[in-house]
Amino acid sequence: MMHPGLPPGWAALVGVAVVVLSLRTLVALRKPTIEPQVRRAAHSAPGTIMRHVTALGPWLLLLKIALVALFLLIVTAGLFGTPIPERNLATALTWNIWWAGLILTIFFVGSFWCAVCPWDTLAGWLVRRRLVRRAPTNNSLNLRVPRIIRSVWPALLLFIGLTWLELGTGLTTNPRATAILGLAMVVMATVSLALFERKAFCRYFCPVGRTIGFYSQLAPVELRPADIEVCARCTSLECYHGTDRVEPCPTHLAMGRLTENTYCTSCGNCVSSCPSENVVWRLRPPSIEAVQNARPHWDEACFLLALLALAGFHGITMLPLWEEGISSFARLVGDSGTLLLSFSIALLAGLAVPTMLYSGAVAATRRIAGIAVEYKQLFSGLAFVALPLAFTYHLAHNLGHVVRESAGIWTLVFNPLGAGMQPLSVAEKQARHMDLLIRPELLFTLQAGLILFGFWVALQVLRHRGQRLLPGGVLAGFTLLPMILLAIAFTGFHLWLLMQPMMMRL
Amino acid sequence: MQRCKLLKCASAVAANNTPFIDREEKARTLCGKCMTIVLTDARVAQVTKLIIVVAMLGWCAPTPAHHVLGRPAYSLNEDSNTPPSMQVEVQIGEYLISYMVFPAFPRPNVPGRINLYAYHLDTDEPLTGKVTFKVREDGWFADSEEEVIGTQLPDDNVYRQGFVFKEDGNYIITAAFEADNTPYLVDFPLPVGNTTPIGLLGVVIAILGAVLLGVSIAQRKRLARAKVRTARQADTLDARSSNDMGEL
Repeated sequence: MMHPGLPPGWAALVGVAVVVLSLRTLVALRKPTIEPQVRRAAHSAPGTIMRHVTALGPWLLLLKIALVALFLLIVTAGLFGTPIPERNLATALTWNIWWAGLILTIFFVGSFWCAVCPWDTLAGWLVRRRLVRRAPTNNSLNLRVPRIIRSVWPALLLFIGLTWLELGTGLTTNPRATAILGLAMVVMATVSLALFERKAFCRYFCPVGRTIGFYSQLAPVELRPADIEVCARCTSLECYHGTDRVEPCPTHLAMGRLTENTYCTSCGNCVSSCPSENVVWRLRPPSIEAVQNARPHWDEACFLLALLALAGFHGITMLPLWEEGISSFARLVGDSGTLLLSFSIALLAGLAVPTMLYSGAVAATRRIAGIAVEYKQLFSGLAFVALPLAFTYHLAHNLGHVVRESAGIWTLVFNPLGAGMQPLSVAEKQARHMDLLIRPELLFTLQAGLILFGFWVALQVLRHRGQRLLPGGVLAGFTLLPMILLAIAFTGFHLWLLMQPMMMRL
Repeated sequence: MQRCKLLKCASAVAANNTPFIDREEKARTLCGKCMTIVLTDARVAQVTKLIIVVAMLGWCAPTPAHHVLGRPAYSLNEDSNTPPSMQVEVQIGEYLISYMVFPAFPRPNVPGRINLYAYHLDTDEPLTGKVTFKVREDGWFADSEEEVIGTQLPDDNVYRQGFVFKEDGNYIITAAFEADNTPYLVDFPLPVGNTTPIGLLGVVIAILGAVLLGVSIAQRKRLARAKVRTARQADTLDARSSNDMGEL
């Protein structure tokens, strides 16, 4: 069953807006940019709710227990339930609701999922053997993570591997494989927690956590000190070391120097441990971190580009022309069976092409600027442009899945193993197809709005980061033109993808 | 103009000016900080409103349900023209093979059927030769001996092969044919009855148990070594202090 794509009228509107915004930015680049000084609302309503949830142990514990129970139900359904993907809770909930909805939650609550993640919760219970309070450290070997893997490269490799499993081997339509993947993540989290200090899995290895972390740079909430002066005077650093009762920061963050959400797991340990009650959740402009606060790193830049590339590749594999294309390519390379070799080559190409385009745009920018900025520095600094483009396309794409494929999920709650169920008939598929969560017009509005918002943030990133990276203060007109053209190209590509009819996930 | 009570612009600029209210030329520096403060505060408010509106739009009424017409699944069996089925498609060499099993989940001692379609990728011409269906058990320690179920000719471009399995288990069906002097072998998985993956859970539990036990033993040894080291250091200190006392 195919979903209809975004109507051309919407795409045309977005296209016009993209051109207007680009011209406006080119004109604006001639003037000096004033870095916005942001005053955040320290005690906003969502912030107060999240502070209470994370600071009050029982609520967080209840939420964790509920999610662990749901995770175990998913594993049980996957291993012992029906192999029909649309009739099994494991596949329907994991891939149609959780995987698609997870990206949507980042837009509202940042990395809060990491605070209640069942993989980490189960690992913590197994290794620490405590439900609440700080556990003695002698349950883990507390080794330092080897320097060579102290980066996001392991998470990036696992993320590419996860995409390969998801799209290449058809993991999303296999309840048993879905359950095995969930168990494998628990095993990895447990082994990592038993061997390494703090939560090395969350910081270095978890592909989902790192994806959430990077996307959280665009979230409208952040966990920060209410008064930076209090942190400057603090000598005990309870947020970093923990207290007798509260665990230390799982990802080695000191609140006084925290400027980005990337590695924050929203666990709220710092909120509970700070003796001055100086750590708060607060609202902020959603793009401020990607635009100016986040510090560029080489490995993180590569992760951002991979996010952009894989988001687009994900979309391509759900188009009808993908089937024909991969079939022809398989014959060209002499591939047979499930065409895994052809898929793997296509995946590598899907990663390489956007990276090469970006590298070329950076090189052109450097050449036009005619100044001695190190290529690597420019590459890392401008890579934040990939973040809003990837995030908003990912959101728009997943919104389509959630809205069109969530129907019928309640029947699975009452029969999670799908006992006695038959595959969906064409009539049932048609009925589900027609039963949208929201009206199609609203869906198209949101999708078009998201793509436009992503492009606007990308321009802001280029403007502010370009101003900072390219010496001389005032950018001479068209210096950033290659990067703007790149952003236009990706936005156009994402719009085109959204306009195509898309295959249902299940 | 409505008077502002927040005066955030004044807090941002030097000389405590209130540029948006007091427009006199009083030590203006044109630094622009007042504008960014006002703008970003307004942006926070706008974004908050946007989030609320989007969240409210999420509650829009769903579209009305449509009636589902058709034959109920319980009235179908493996000989029905549209029975429930599991379908697999693979591409091999010059052919696209579609394989369907009826019923979707075969059970022991219940008759089932395999339908196989083979089309040439270039010409869309169906395969016309014979197809031999074989079966063997699947699994690491399974018996690898194959048994021929039957050899079929196409009937209306479909190769139909009936089967009845006696026991639960995971099986591999092999479809073998020859086209353009090239032999083709295609393997398809076929689970019959309940095949519970207890072995897999055992592997997971064994890995977790081994890691936790290993870490626990290593930690105990560490602690024991630390205790011994502390005791030796204490002995050395005692010996030194008694020597010192003796010298005195």
